[in-house]
Amino acid sequence: MTFRNTTAAIAVAAGLAAGAVHAQELTLWSHWADQAAKVEFVESAAKAFEEANPGVTVKINWYQKEPLYAALKTALTAGQGPDIFYAETSQTEYMANGLVLDLKDKLNWDAIEPWATEVWGYEGGVYGFPLEAWTVETYVNTALAEKAGVEIPVEGLVGAAFVDVVKTIKAADITPMSQGVGDRPYPGAFLTHDILLKKLGAEDYASLLKGGDVKWDDPRVREGLEYAKEIIDAGAFPASFSSIKLGEAHRYFHTSPGAVMLQMGSFYPSRAFAAPDAGGQPDGFDISISHGPIPEGAACPKCKTIAVGGSYVINAGSEHGDLAAAFLNSMATPEMGNKWLEANLVQTGIKADPSKITGDKAAYLQKLAAANEGASYTYGIPVQQMQGTPRETFTQTVNQAFPAGLIGVDEVIDMMSSAY
Amino acid sequence: MTNSSPPAKKEKDHANPLGAITTFLLPALLIYAAFTALPVLRTFYNSTHLIVPNRPAEWVGFTHYVELWTDRIFWKAVWNTLTWAAVAPILEVTIAILLALCLYAKVPFSRVLRVAWFTPVLMSYVVVGILWMWIYNYEWGALNTMLRGLGLESWAQPWLGHPDTALASLIAVTTWMWTGFNMVVILAAMSSLPSEVLEAAELDNCGWFSKLWFVILPLIRPTLLNLIVLSFIGKMKVFDLVWVTTQGNPLWATETVSTYVYKRAFQWSTFDLGYPSTIAVVWFFIVLSGVLGLTFLFRQKDKLEY
Repeated sequence: MTFRNTTAAIAVAAGLAAGAVHAQELTLWSHWADQAAKVEFVESAAKAFEEANPGVTVKINWYQKEPLYAALKTALTAGQGPDIFYAETSQTEYMANGLVLDLKDKLNWDAIEPWATEVWGYEGGVYGFPLEAWTVETYVNTALAEKAGVEIPVEGLVGAAFVDVVKTIKAADITPMSQGVGDRPYPGAFLTHDILLKKLGAEDYASLLKGGDVKWDDPRVREGLEYAKEIIDAGAFPASFSSIKLGEAHRYFHTSPGAVMLQMGSFYPSRAFAAPDAGGQPDGFDISISHGPIPEGAACPKCKTIAVGGSYVINAGSEHGDLAAAFLNSMATPEMGNKWLEANLVQTGIKADPSKITGDKAAYLQKLAAANEGASYTYGIPVQQMQGTPRETFTQTVNQAFPAGLIGVDEVIDMMSSAY
Repeated sequence: MTNSSPPAKKEKDHANPLGAITTFLLPALLIYAAFTALPVLRTFYNSTHLIVPNRPAEWVGFTHYVELWTDRIFWKAVWNTLTWAAVAPILEVTIAILLALCLYAKVPFSRVLRVAWFTPVLMSYVVVGILWMWIYNYEWGALNTMLRGLGLESWAQPWLGHPDTALASLIAVTTWMWTGFNMVVILAAMSSLPSEVLEAAELDNCGWFSKLWFVILPLIRPTLLNLIVLSFIGKMKVFDLVWVTTQGNPLWATETVSTYVYKRAFQWSTFDLGYPSTIAVVWFFIVLSGVLGLTFLFRQKDKLEY
């Protein structure tokens, strides 16, 4: 080997070594394996980050939610796991056990909605990057509503008016509200949750769920439950309510056999706006969004729920904490916020401007905005606010047995009271 | 004298080839220790500790055991699992005997029937669960469609969605799934019966029922008892089917101990593995005592008979 060749070889080796020193791999484990728009959003963000940071690669593993949680639990307990991972606000165990980094001084919070920041707050720190947010909405199948001869206005229906609408739809041999709890611990509770929230107001309702001063035998709670029971007994839900899965409830609503209403998170478009042959709603399907049932004597008739859904947190054991934060910050821009809205048609914790979105999706976002006009929000659905035995009891009773007509108001009060 | 000591040493080597024993046993022992003994011991340890990440395990004594004593969901799960483990083996083995007798008597199409009846056990619980969720579907499931077709509209119901029918419906599924397996084992036992005993019974003008009751069943009794114990143990551990179909719903009507352990370990927003370990330990002793009890019971009867 000549001197020149030797020098070149050393130079190449040195170059590779230098490259190896600077090469960094960020690992990300995320839910949404079956939600193409979200996968594409995150992967395009990763690609853009890699291009802006030569030598950095972002390796993403996509999971379904349950397998992801099981994998994370094992990995984090063993002091391992990815640099960044998917989490939801109810998973306070991550913060309680010091498994995730405090992002208070690491993220660009000016680009993130204050309510989303608040939801991820824990003992003075802020721990999650709130990518996905959603509100609880009452979607209306306008064609079927017309066929049943009912009108469900955007501002909702108060007291007996909603019960009458349910009875009228049922009399027309149409299912009033599509819903099912076959694979999720929360959608069956949307009706009761929405009613109790409006009846009590956000503060008292939070107290009820968290075992505070407001108890389940409070007269206002009983009135709210009795109102929900009236709607249930009027035949609101399908008989197969207990076994219908979340995706099936969507299809039941918009395709077969069809239902007039569907109470669902505003993540509805992620499934329904897929192509019809991929389980999406039929072409030309028209929906409106209503404020749903409002109980008589409601303390907060404009109350709604906004939940921070899929978020990203940084593993406290990560060797690339700052780099991981930089990646999350690369998504925290108004442009990325709008991109998320346009791709997913569900809200985000990133500050965005829906008015800038045009095209066929703009109409849906305008309806969503109108349904949320003047709304006062509570943060998180019950299963995100509760833990342990109360949460499990709520899932079994308010989410399932009560709307399925298996138990009455007294049983709900007894079982929930004894769960705390 | 000088010649006698080497053969003695050689004999000792033959009688106790320690090197060979160690060589053959060590790998299996290591695997057993790493993947069975150690996790079991660790579970016992965890059950008396608070186990959370980033903190040393904290000794909590028998606090978890005391808490478990008043855990209503756990006892509901115990009741459901014991019901399943008591009912399913009897159903499976009884129906399997009848099916095996059909095949033993060589009914028409017996080869096809043997394959058809055995097929369910070849499927995984996940596939079986999805299949039966369709069959039990209220709106369009085969069962309710059949009932409606027979004019029994009022009998149609959400079989997996009602606390009164959910557990029974799942027991029916495991019975459907495992009866074929039991049938094949019983048929093999029947086929290996000594022909002279059966011929002697026929010479004594023994009717078919008497032959079954007084000759065949006593002769295959050990096989039946083994099948019952195996089925009992299987049902005490049932998880997959419940997870796919009901996840313990409605109102814990189908909650089993295995699903509850999983929920407590992975779904209760806590990293503590202490309490789920306590459930596992208590359940281990319940299963163990059940198996020992059955074994004792059957041995006692054997002694009485002989």
